[in-house]
Amino acid sequence: MNFLKKKKILLFVTVVIGFGISMVAQNAPKKHIVEIKKMKFIPAEINVKKGDTVVWINKEFFPHDVTDQKTKAWGSGPFGQNETWSKVITKNENYFCNLHKVMKGIIKIKK
Amino acid sequence: MKSLISMLLFELICFSSYGQQKDELSDPEVASVAVVANQIDISYAEIALKKSKNNEILEFANRMITDHNVVIKQAVDLVTKLSVTPKDNAISKSLVEDAEKINKKLLKAKKKKFDNIYIDNEVAYHKAVIAAVKNLLIPESDNMELKELLEAVLPALEAHLEHAEMVQKQL
Repeated sequence: MNFLKKKKILLFVTVVIGFGISMVAQNAPKKHIVEIKKMKFIPAEINVKKGDTVVWINKEFFPHDVTDQKTKAWGSGPFGQNETWSKVITKNENYFCNLHKVMKGIIKIKK
Repeated sequence: MKSLISMLLFELICFSSYGQQKDELSDPEVASVAVVANQIDISYAEIALKKSKNNEILEFANRMITDHNVVIKQAVDLVTKLSVTPKDNAISKSLVEDAEKINKKLLKAKKKKFDNIYIDNEVAYHKAVIAAVKNLLIPESDNMELKELLEAVLPALEAHLEHAEMVQKQL
């Protein structure tokens, strides 16, 4: 096999591997940040892929929590300033702060 | 009871106007009013914990105790850092006097009526305090950190009001 052919094959393989890595990277679960400040979840509504992680960060001096709104099936318990809590998302979720019930958030799975 | 709440509301609004015209509340006085306003709501909540059997009321009252104690701690930490001593003044003294009257009414209230009286007072009180913070305490604060603390507390007061109104509707 001459040198030029080998070079073409090597280039082709590099492109295929690079494309494959890119695809894997794009499909890898991601982290999404929700800040808690001024008695709000920011953003209040977030769109994620199934398997992604949402991380809540409490940016204020009041304790807050993150709780399943419908049945309280899951919850973080209270956490303080600069503390975080995270959850891997597998379905649409409506949640709220069980300490400050007027604070609400929504997580939607992207189709 | 309604007349006492109305009087407190009227006084806070009048003092708000007074502050805007005269610009005479010093930062130690602002700090004193802020701390006293929080202590008053804690006192109402402590009575509610003794007298109410309603879960929504008890949950709300516990939240008031926790959150207002958090604010007091923030205020105390700040005045300590700034070497400021909160200074009693006409507004803080008037708040305390009125609160003592409301406390007596809450303590005397019959159990059947207590929950409604308590939550009605909470709605009115939070409205009055929000107005006072927005129109008096924040504008009167000279120190930026004190101003920022009051601005940080405002959303919590508004959330408390919304929560109180939610409980009020549920009763």
